[in-house]
Amino acid sequence: MDIFFQQLFNGLTIGSVYSLVALGLTLVYGILHIPNFAHGALYMMGGYITLTMMQTLGLYYWLAIFVSIVVVGLIGVLMERLVFHHLRHAPPIHDKIAAIGMLLFLEAFAHRVWGADYLEMATPHGQVVSVFGITFTLQRLIIIVAAVLVMFTLYLFLKKTYMGMTVIAMSQNRAGANLVGVNTNKVAMLTFFISGALAAIAASLSSPINLVFPGMGHLVILKAFVIIIIGGMGSIPGAIVGGYILGFTESLGATYISSDYKDIIAFILLVLILTIRPNGLFAKGGQS
Amino acid sequence: MKHIKKVAWLLLVVMFLSLLAACNTEGEEGSSGETQEVSIGYSGPLSGPAAYYGEATFTGLELAVDEINEAGGFDVDGQNYTIDLVSLDDQYLPNEAASNAQRLVEENDVSVVYTPHSGGIMAQQVLNEQEEFMIMAYSSEPAITEQGNSLTVAIPPRYDGYIAPFTEYAMENHGNKIALLPTSSQYGKDWNERLEPYWQEQGGEVVFNSSIDFNKDTDFFTILTNALENDPDVIFIGGPSQPTAKVAQQARELGFEGGFIIMDQAKLDEMKDVTGTYETFEGSVGVNPLQYSDYPGTAEFLEKYQEEFDKVPGSEAGFHYISAYILVEAMKAAGTVDDAHAIREHMQQGIEALPEDKKVYDIPGILDEGNFDVIQSMAVVENGEVVPVDID
Repeated sequence: MDIFFQQLFNGLTIGSVYSLVALGLTLVYGILHIPNFAHGALYMMGGYITLTMMQTLGLYYWLAIFVSIVVVGLIGVLMERLVFHHLRHAPPIHDKIAAIGMLLFLEAFAHRVWGADYLEMATPHGQVVSVFGITFTLQRLIIIVAAVLVMFTLYLFLKKTYMGMTVIAMSQNRAGANLVGVNTNKVAMLTFFISGALAAIAASLSSPINLVFPGMGHLVILKAFVIIIIGGMGSIPGAIVGGYILGFTESLGATYISSDYKDIIAFILLVLILTIRPNGLFAKGGQS
Repeated sequence: MKHIKKVAWLLLVVMFLSLLAACNTEGEEGSSGETQEVSIGYSGPLSGPAAYYGEATFTGLELAVDEINEAGGFDVDGQNYTIDLVSLDDQYLPNEAASNAQRLVEENDVSVVYTPHSGGIMAQQVLNEQEEFMIMAYSSEPAITEQGNSLTVAIPPRYDGYIAPFTEYAMENHGNKIALLPTSSQYGKDWNERLEPYWQEQGGEVVFNSSIDFNKDTDFFTILTNALENDPDVIFIGGPSQPTAKVAQQARELGFEGGFIIMDQAKLDEMKDVTGTYETFEGSVGVNPLQYSDYPGTAEFLEKYQEEFDKVPGSEAGFHYISAYILVEAMKAAGTVDDAHAIREHMQQGIEALPEDKKVYDIPGILDEGNFDVIQSMAVVENGEVVPVDID
């Protein structure tokens, strides 16, 4: 029984990271209908910036994360301003090509600036804790709690503030939002900022349990796409639930079925869910 | 006016053509006494996920070539040569490595191509005998020389030499239950296929057998939890040093107290940089990091490399460095820089002529099938320190 709870915890840890990455991806998709392939690169930048802040400026872990959130958020805004904004009337394929271009650019940039080495991000919370037969490090507990906090804050922001509501309005109906006076440009920038910020948080939280390197975005981006397809493209609860579902499937599937086939299990799940609900678990009815 | 323009054009074209011709003759014949350039090719992962490894291999080669050129090149048959190192990126892909080799042969007229990964080497072996270029192969995979390619030189020691001593050490010190958790690359699987039967032959038991995909897994807790559920005494891990170190670290966090058998791809000193201490790897056995080796040329190489690249070199850099010097000596002995067969046949003389101060490793000779006969050594971690151990 111990192993079941241990794996549940492991699944929760990894699911939290997946959810945060998928949230950023789904937000952008919901509003601009752009599959942002460069989202993994934003995740990678988040890891590097936090690490650089800690190493060169000697900032404390949490302060470094804050800087990283702002910087990566701004990179997201820059992406929107310099690239996606200009492509808003272009055929959808142009957005996709541009996104892949930015992915390559950012990876090459990281390679140039920080080198190809794997870098270690030291966490001040590396203590090992053992409770009720479950072993974990404090950092993992922080990942889980922080993810929930971030999701809750995002929920409050979207539902309770005026700015947040404009984001929702625009995802429901872009033209309609524009008609009632929502500044769609501002909302687009805001969305990219939040998306970058979420990527930075996810990367900064998970880097101490893995490493920081130019290709780190690939670890999560493919899974994030699976998650937003499971959850329904553009759906926020879908991204959260989908992330946890994938995390649990991986850890429990690896334990009770086979660790060699855990990726296949995740994709079988994807096929099953799409068979029953072709638009994903939380697809919005009607428009979009 | 039109006429003048035409004539001017004609003159320009003629001048350009004669310039080209001049270049050509210089490249092909040249008058003796003048220094010529000989091109040596390199195809490896200079970008992408394995760029770190590519850089480690290429820098060793680069350092040797720069040194040779700065010292005024080398003489073959009365003709002085300097080396032009031409590198192409293959992103670790076999097909790219093969087409790079083709390009190097056609465009740069190379007779030697360095490649640091078994997939690329095997892809090049399809065409190297026909195109007459020699592969300086950096891979410990035994299969690259077992097929009897006449123009392949395998630089590092074969990994199958490690299996018996690693097994013996781990069984003696920890016990006979092993969990196999190497990287899921072809290389990791090949290692696994040789280790698993040997372990069982020695009376050991394999309690868990899986692999880790470092390109896909963000966290190793899940797979380690399952492996440790079977209560192993030893865990076999491997892959790039840094993520492999993370696997070991997380195994310790989950309470594993046994030893690790570390695949030769990962280096103990680089792993330590991640965890900050050798204590994580207490009781482990792996290959001996170059910086703890004590061959005649090791210390000087370490110093030069650190000065140039500001980091401690691994065995990849060391082996590439020494092999470049051996190659130059072999060219001297063969009396040619572009006959791949002759160079290959004079490798033994090249090794023998290697200056003492370049001996970063101890290589007495080359085996018939093309492997450098490197004196192997391994290292174990005891009381938080790396202890080199000779393999007999």
